[in-house]
Amino acid sequence: MRIHLVAAAAALSMAAAGVAFAALPKNKARAIMQERHEGMEKIGDTNKLLRREIASSSPFMPTIQSGAATIATLSKRASGWFPAGTGPDVGKTGAKPEIWQKPADFAAKMRDFQAAAQLFNAAAKAGDASAIKGRYTAMVRTCSACHDSYRNEMKH
Amino acid sequence: MKSHHVDWHIWSGIAILTLLLFRLMWGFVGSSTARWTSFIRGPRAVLDFLRGRWVGIGHTPLGGLSVVAMFLLMCTQVGLGVFNEDEDGLYAGPLANFLSPDTTEKIHELHELNFKLLLGLIVLHVGAIIYYRVRGKPLTMPMISGRGATNPAAPQMRPGKWWVALICLGIAFAISRWVVAGAPPFGS
Repeated sequence: MRIHLVAAAAALSMAAAGVAFAALPKNKARAIMQERHEGMEKIGDTNKLLRREIASSSPFMPTIQSGAATIATLSKRASGWFPAGTGPDVGKTGAKPEIWQKPADFAAKMRDFQAAAQLFNAAAKAGDASAIKGRYTAMVRTCSACHDSYRNEMKH
Repeated sequence: MKSHHVDWHIWSGIAILTLLLFRLMWGFVGSSTARWTSFIRGPRAVLDFLRGRWVGIGHTPLGGLSVVAMFLLMCTQVGLGVFNEDEDGLYAGPLANFLSPDTTEKIHELHELNFKLLLGLIVLHVGAIIYYRVRGKPLTMPMISGRGATNPAAPQMRPGKWWVALICLGIAFAISRWVVAGAPPFGS
């Protein structure tokens, strides 16, 4: 019983760290990849609208606020989007195999993005234009930092 | 885009924009052989050239058509590029914010498609230069220096003036900077 508990705890903690125990079943992997694709696409589309507002001489605050909230929410979900076994060997994806070769670096970059997204969301809620601009720029930098190493172009 | 040097990509596009603007103006006020009116000729001239009955300097009537095609495709490519953005919205041409994301997505595809057309034309262009080189007629140095063997029956070239070139370059540079700044009164 005790051994079972220890094993279960280990399994849970490894799952939480995004490390798959055994190979992920194919249909499960595909579902995660689909969710990841849609989530990333939504973040990208939201970013396009945000960039337009932030570059504008008269930014429309509600667009910025809802966009910031969308990205902050999705950034939290992104932790679960990259379990082992969801790479290009399983299906069509822009995720590079390097994600699973350098998991510590990838996880650090993911945390940078999540933290920056929360800070940007807080600034958007507060409504201070110059803080919004600064934190938006900081967040976008975390996107590029990760994509430069871990994202391939994906045709669809 | 496959490389990560997107900033280089955008800046080289701006450099090409500057060159195209210069070439447009130089085609009106430059050396006689650079002027649009000297080498954009009708189908009759092209046929005469193909039958070996063309005497002249500068672009041949057929080469002139290729210049126009190259110029138009390059203008299209740069014109699409300044409104383009990547699918993450992380990199954008200087004027992309004027358009909706739906529109820039279409522009993104057209920018890629037009590049393929451009590649075809570049192959043809370099091929023609090599063809003439092998047949003993170098084209690259005469293009730069304005000097080369000509048919004595052909008219001489009137060279352009250096200060006119400088003014054209200045205007081209100023317009490019204006685009980089985000155009109209600098941004949307």
